[in-house]
Amino acid sequence: MKKKTALLLAAILTASSLAGCSQNASTEGTGTAAPEQTQPSQEAAANNTPAGGKITYWGLLSTTESPNFSNRGDEPFAKAWMEQTGIEIEFMHPPTGQIKEQFSLILADGNLPDIMEYNWLADYPGGPEKAIKDGVILPLNDIFAQYCPNITKYLAENPDIDKMIKTDDGNYYAFPFVRGSQRLCNTIGLMLRGDLLEELGLEVPTTIDEWHTVLTAFKENGIASPYCPEYTRTDLMNADPFMAAFGICKNFYIDDAGKVQYGGIQEGYKQYLETMAQWYKEGLIDADLATLKFDQVNAKMINGTAGASLGFAGSYMGTWMGAATAENPDYLLVPAPYPTLEKGTAAEYGFKDSQYSGRASAAITTSCQDVERAAKLLDYAYGEKGHMLFNFGVEGESYDLIDGEPVYTQWIMENPDGWPVAQAMSAYIRGNNNGPFIQDERYLDQYYALDCQKDTVDVWGATNADKHMLPPVTPTSDESREMSSIVNEITTYRDEMALKYIFGAESLDTFEEYVQNIKSMGLDRALQIQQDALDRYNTR
Amino acid sequence: MKQKLMHSVRKDWKKNWSLYVLVLPVLLFFLIFQYRPMYGAIIAFKDYTPALGIEKSEWIGLENFTRFFQSVYFGRLLKNTLLLSIYNLIFGFPAPIILALLLNEVRNRRFKSLAQTITYLPHFISLIVVTGMITDFSLTTGLFNDIIALLGGERLSLLQEAGLYRTIYVASSIWQEVGWGSIIYLSALSGVDSQLYEAAQIDGAGKWKQLIHVTLPAIAPTIIIMLILKMGTLMNMGYEKTLLLYNPSTYETADIISSYIYRVGLLEQDWSYSTAIGLFNSVINFGLLLATNKLSKRFSETSLW
Repeated sequence: MKKKTALLLAAILTASSLAGCSQNASTEGTGTAAPEQTQPSQEAAANNTPAGGKITYWGLLSTTESPNFSNRGDEPFAKAWMEQTGIEIEFMHPPTGQIKEQFSLILADGNLPDIMEYNWLADYPGGPEKAIKDGVILPLNDIFAQYCPNITKYLAENPDIDKMIKTDDGNYYAFPFVRGSQRLCNTIGLMLRGDLLEELGLEVPTTIDEWHTVLTAFKENGIASPYCPEYTRTDLMNADPFMAAFGICKNFYIDDAGKVQYGGIQEGYKQYLETMAQWYKEGLIDADLATLKFDQVNAKMINGTAGASLGFAGSYMGTWMGAATAENPDYLLVPAPYPTLEKGTAAEYGFKDSQYSGRASAAITTSCQDVERAAKLLDYAYGEKGHMLFNFGVEGESYDLIDGEPVYTQWIMENPDGWPVAQAMSAYIRGNNNGPFIQDERYLDQYYALDCQKDTVDVWGATNADKHMLPPVTPTSDESREMSSIVNEITTYRDEMALKYIFGAESLDTFEEYVQNIKSMGLDRALQIQQDALDRYNTR
Repeated sequence: MKQKLMHSVRKDWKKNWSLYVLVLPVLLFFLIFQYRPMYGAIIAFKDYTPALGIEKSEWIGLENFTRFFQSVYFGRLLKNTLLLSIYNLIFGFPAPIILALLLNEVRNRRFKSLAQTITYLPHFISLIVVTGMITDFSLTTGLFNDIIALLGGERLSLLQEAGLYRTIYVASSIWQEVGWGSIIYLSALSGVDSQLYEAAQIDGAGKWKQLIHVTLPAIAPTIIIMLILKMGTLMNMGYEKTLLLYNPSTYETADIISSYIYRVGLLEQDWSYSTAIGLFNSVINFGLLLATNKLSKRFSETSLW
């Protein structure tokens, strides 16, 4: 008897340790262990759109919406959208930071919302074509032709966008988020203390050597960490301007001959590392480079212990200017162009966000009972009225037409409840975040309140980067699986080694060996996959 | 034979039915919440896509396991996981016992309860806050470096040093959990018969001899059970703390199996692969549990079965 109880106890212990594993991997989709968050989807299943009923809409609630609204349906934006289209929408939002987990849970559950806003290009394992083949979403070609005059017209007028939002097989899969102009794509760049430059009698640096001079001068004048970027934040550092100066991008890019290359093994990358290592040794780069998070960079840029950083014009430059000028009215940040090696030459490489990156694009799922109304609802945003609604909101409330141009009202720019501009905007528009519509550049000129922010657009945009950025290619589902496993290993290794080289923990004499190691992880295969995908893209 | 069994079961049921009813909810809990989800582990052998579901996804055999074993990081992940676990065990396991023994000797009640409260407190601080504190203290301008500089050392960004990572990880775990962990030992200590101490004193045993010959043997069963339980979860190191503390410059010593699962499984959505790795982890764990139990059985009277 005693033996039996003991055995049972042992079994229970094993069970709990095994169960722990499957929870970690969050494999259960069967519903037993699914957390509370799936409830909205079950609710949705209960009233699965009888004709004329509500359209269920799943997508992320942005961080500028969530402080004031727990559901998009409560916002004036959504109310106006429903009123203007006459279609009732029930919004469902995954918890912030858990969009991928929730997405998989909903998929496993099988009862999909009618419309799902997601990055179908990058975040569906196997790519958008696979999502169609798996029977998750509908191909939209017939639907566009039948119900969507607005987007059809837009795509006919913009063949380059048309090419981006299709798969290689020619299928449309989502109502895309499109940046309506190239100017909206210059989102990331270098910025530094303009007031200090003036004090020291220096110009805004344009070459690597000039940057060295400026950062050294900063250091000599008591700036503890002259260059202080959020080095481990990938979306920022993929744009690393100092790397661009050496004629490369960090990941996959297209070289001058039109071939796909990988930045992390190029000779230019080695020179970049040498430069960074030297700067780090000289104390020109923040000593805690690898552990810097936004909070620390934020504090250092505002209190003046840092002199230059890398970031976005809105959420970085704007925040720092706002906070620092309160204490020090002279404080000024100026954008610096993507640097070069030789003075006077135009920067060839740099960073531009793709006009279509796949982000926040709305697909109609196979569970949708009323495809026509869902399609019409989404198509509305691409028409004239919808365009105004998504970018500027409601006339008389969030914007006024002055000389035919939309201008945000005082309610938006100086909100009576003290909401920051971004939050006030998010109540009425989606233009300052993303979503299935065409982003209007006129929003940006007003959103960037400060002159230095307005300057960023042209200063950061003065490169040939779009020629070298990989367009939204779609590897086949097998390829993308292989790709992600190769790229994963390579990225881990590259990032680890980069810091070691910069900190001087590893000598750059071992660079050859490092390149060989990356190649042995299957880089050539990854390059081949990207090249094939690019070739297919070019012949679309 | 069979009839005999049935007979004894029925007899037992009649006699003890209330006990069976009492144990039922616990049994159900384990069946529903611990055993049933184990079914999901079969996706380790499948090419799982959520759209197809567990049943319809294609079988691929051991492909996920071979991929992990052949990965360049396999050796390092295993080594890091094992080393961190073992350090946590060697330094982390005795710490609460020592604290409990020390507290047990304190005669001043006020001081004792104050010391207990202070050592418990960190347990209730959220991990995010604790790691935030560690990160801030480890900066070149942080508290730890102020102390190092005061003692004449050179300022160093501590979390960028792969060589220091394990020390920081283990030391902070001990700091956070030592007070909480000592509770069970304190309760065991309070159960020791005071006559034993009196007898030892009469025999001329000092404090140290009392500790060795009375206190430790008295709480040995508790220590061993705790050790076995701890061994069972040795490899189950959560990824949360690692994710919050590591960065590419410390991957070399910091990257463990569960943080790798997080990066590959959750961020790249490779569910099958990460389940396979998780399953592998659990198998090692189970092996460790069995081994400890066996050892304990051989060297002492105490064991789980």
